[in-house]
Amino acid sequence: MVTTATPTKVKGSGKSASAQQKIQELRDLYADAPELSRKALENVLQELTDQVAQTPPPPVESAGRAGSRLGKVSELTLIVPLAPGGAKRLRTFLRLLGGNLNGADKVGTVHDMRFVFLDNDTKLLFATAYDGDWDAYIDDFATRIPDYLDVLNAGWEGWPGIRSPEAKDYLAKHQVTAEGWYVANDLTVTETRQLKRVGNAVTEFLDKISE
Amino acid sequence: MTPTTQTPTATRSKADVGVEQKVQQLRDLYADAPELGKVALENGLPALKQELTAATAAQNAGRIGARQGRVSELTGIFPFAKGGAKRLRGLLQLLEGNFQGADKVGTVHDMRFVFLDNDTKLLFATAYDGEWDAYIDDFATKIPNAMDLLFCNAVGWPGIRSPKVKDWIVEHQISAEAWYVANPNLTVTEARRLERVGKAVEELLDKIG
Repeated sequence: MVTTATPTKVKGSGKSASAQQKIQELRDLYADAPELSRKALENVLQELTDQVAQTPPPPVESAGRAGSRLGKVSELTLIVPLAPGGAKRLRTFLRLLGGNLNGADKVGTVHDMRFVFLDNDTKLLFATAYDGDWDAYIDDFATRIPDYLDVLNAGWEGWPGIRSPEAKDYLAKHQVTAEGWYVANDLTVTETRQLKRVGNAVTEFLDKISE
Repeated sequence: MTPTTQTPTATRSKADVGVEQKVQQLRDLYADAPELGKVALENGLPALKQELTAATAAQNAGRIGARQGRVSELTGIFPFAKGGAKRLRGLLQLLEGNFQGADKVGTVHDMRFVFLDNDTKLLFATAYDGEWDAYIDDFATKIPNAMDLLFCNAVGWPGIRSPKVKDWIVEHQISAEAWYVANPNLTVTEARRLERVGKAVEELLDKIG
């Protein structure tokens, strides 16, 4: 399910009225909440008033076929059933790598990713933050590290293989779109790397002129 | 190289032997994998060897969770209290993805709220800077009310000001078995500083040009 929030019309003075409405909706929403959080709501209301009334950051959008995107960065959250023996194989594989998943460097659009075993090793949670759109992201994996991916996914129940035309349907079927998604810096992986180089160059430059 | 040819020689480093052993372990491990997985393992071996060589002991974020460089992960699954899913969804929709609170904490790279199993559970997953204890303390001191608003919707939330809150989080947290970060040594603060440096450099170059 994609949670595209209804775009609020921001038209001058209408702004604070809509904020007030939202505050009221929040109060209604928390009317049956535990005492603790009703109190928290009152404490935080002023802050929230400012927050909902301010020009919001770029709205959270859809990342394409599934998932949310904020600015340039998208999220993908998958929960897949593991085949018998699949968890053991994947866990041992990951341990042998010592958590070193630098194959993802080759994809070049992955900010972070995690593998988490759930429900007594019967399911795997895979969650990642990446640049851009869903389709392009999956294509990147398929073209740059297909074998690596198939080794990782060998334990997934029903995984058709990344080269299969059904791979995307499989992924979309097991993906759950985040309803809340926050990213601190609106930078792609590439931009970040470039900025690191710029930062180093500036430091060197400043060192040189102060010599 | 097949394992049968593996004769430790004086020139072969200990690390190489370790890698060959790991490769053998991998082959054993994937002996009963689907054909697709076995083929992929053979095709991927050259690249995998590099990673096995580079593999170091996994780092942890302190009490619980994985860490790479300076960036840690926290993954938790929390059962929703009655009416909790509806409240949280309503709250998230009203905020329209606007989490200025997280900006205030200053150590959050990203975070997501995902509703699971027909709205009976909440998956919360985040990437953050540094150690677990300090991270929870940051939330508790900087945005205590927002924390209570978000997490009161989970069963048994003791309140961010409660001395029991850390134990409660640990109970629901699940450490990632593997954790990758593209820029592991870049904190949120450092990334923001670099953004400013980048802009300043652009301006400078414009002026010179």
